[in-house]
Amino acid sequence: MRVDPIDWTLHALGAIVRPAVYVMLCLPPVLVVVSSLTAGDSLRFPPEGFSLRWYIEAVNSEPFMRSLWISTRLAALATLCSLVLGLCAAAAMDRYEFAGKRAFRALTLSPLIIPMVVLGLGLLQFLSRIGWSQSFVSLLIGHLLITLPYVVRTLTASFALFDRTLEQAAMNLRASPLIVLRRVTLPLIAPSLVSAAVFAFVTSFGNITLSVFLGTANQTTLPVQIFTYVEHSYSPVLAAVSTIVIAVTLAVMIIVEKLTGMEKVT
Amino acid sequence: MERDNTDLSTRRRTIHKALFALLAAPTALLGVFLVLPMLGLFRSSFYEGSGPMGSGWTLAQYAKFASDSYYIQVLMDTIGFGLAATLISLVIGFPVGYALARMPPEKRRWRLLVVIMPLTLSLVVVVFGWLVILGRTGLFNTLLVGLGLLESPQRLLFSRGAVLLVLVQQFLPFMILSIMSVVTQISPDLEQASANLRANRFRTFRRVVLPLAIPGILAGSTLVFILTVSAFITPRLIGGSRIQMIGSLIFEQVLTVLNWPFAAALSFMLLALTLGITALANAVFAVRMSSRTI
Repeated sequence: MRVDPIDWTLHALGAIVRPAVYVMLCLPPVLVVVSSLTAGDSLRFPPEGFSLRWYIEAVNSEPFMRSLWISTRLAALATLCSLVLGLCAAAAMDRYEFAGKRAFRALTLSPLIIPMVVLGLGLLQFLSRIGWSQSFVSLLIGHLLITLPYVVRTLTASFALFDRTLEQAAMNLRASPLIVLRRVTLPLIAPSLVSAAVFAFVTSFGNITLSVFLGTANQTTLPVQIFTYVEHSYSPVLAAVSTIVIAVTLAVMIIVEKLTGMEKVT
Repeated sequence: MERDNTDLSTRRRTIHKALFALLAAPTALLGVFLVLPMLGLFRSSFYEGSGPMGSGWTLAQYAKFASDSYYIQVLMDTIGFGLAATLISLVIGFPVGYALARMPPEKRRWRLLVVIMPLTLSLVVVVFGWLVILGRTGLFNTLLVGLGLLESPQRLLFSRGAVLLVLVQQFLPFMILSIMSVVTQISPDLEQASANLRANRFRTFRRVVLPLAIPGILAGSTLVFILTVSAFITPRLIGGSRIQMIGSLIFEQVLTVLNWPFAAALSFMLLALTLGITALANAVFAVRMSSRTI
């Protein structure tokens, strides 16, 4: 069978480009993990020996551990609040028609399209004026703004697929609205709530672009702490701390993969 | 079961109360902490002075930008990076997105995870990884010297190429996902029909796949462009002080120089750029939609 040379060329190009892309995408995190296990004193490739000393140093480092705790607390709080707010917003948009619905929807999703530097400066200025900058609250507000769109987006998709008759059947059996919520609605949207929670947590935990503008030297998140260190130093302890970030993120991601499958994300 | 005897107006009021209860908190949060700060930012770009707080009305901040060729150059560089990153990620992302769309779900699962994972990891971790790869004692230098292609380690970092490389890797997943999403909607039957009519793969791509994939290409390109021009961590860490983009310039003005009014003016120019590109893409999309004769 005669094979067109163009077909063969395209096939060969594809066979080169595609794996190269996959490698390029996962090379940086892989290298961070590999470098963190070095026994040597500096970041070089290939790493000299194998040792966990940098993890020990990372865990003993007060600034890093404190910011890890702040990041975790912040992500958990931000996730919780944006789940509640996002649920209200998604439910309102799904079940009611009201004037300005489109504008409201655009508003909830708008933090996604505003560059984070712009958002950061705007928030910093505003919060400074009311005296709330330089605090955990400013970080929380910022993280709420950037996690809410993901939650709203995930939940509105789920509500659209929701079978209202199940709620109506419950009400028909004389269940009060609260019971309907607890026994029917929430269990049915639970997978998408988990999915939304995971998006929110991961977004908040890893966020740096917004977080550098909020918080202070004492109240800083782990990514910001890493950023501050990277600008001035180049030690394997940074690789160890970064690996901790990767580990937390991956752990949370694997939960999503097991529970709902990656297909839902796209 | 007794019938609920409330009349229409009472029921309507109950619905209004429920709706209000649901909308109150999100609207309050967004109104106070998103809309107000953005308005305040806009207002502050007209402040006089060069400190964190200011007052007055002046176009001096915008004039400062327009009159200094350094700032203009930074803006041009930023747009240049945006265009380059968009083009490159389109060229290398399309094959991947296409392949993912045509793959059976079992094969797709893990590859999709590889594509999405960099998006979920903290940016600073990924960029730090590139510092390790591109550093003097890093992966690339060690490999190239070891293979004999280089005599001694070169400085790969702090160059435009390095910044572009990292920017592309950073936003490539968005392009891949956009392409994958649109190609999934193109029926493989169309390509098979084209092959049946003896067109080679390139012809099929050019005449069948590409025109149908334009919405995804538009969406992905817009997204990558906007994200690239807004970037600041990458140029700052990979480019150092040599490579400036608008984002890193704003960052410097806010946290180092503390010239917030000027930073606000820069921010709004960046915002104008991103919103402008979004509007442009939407307009192109609308024109295509309206010219469809289906």
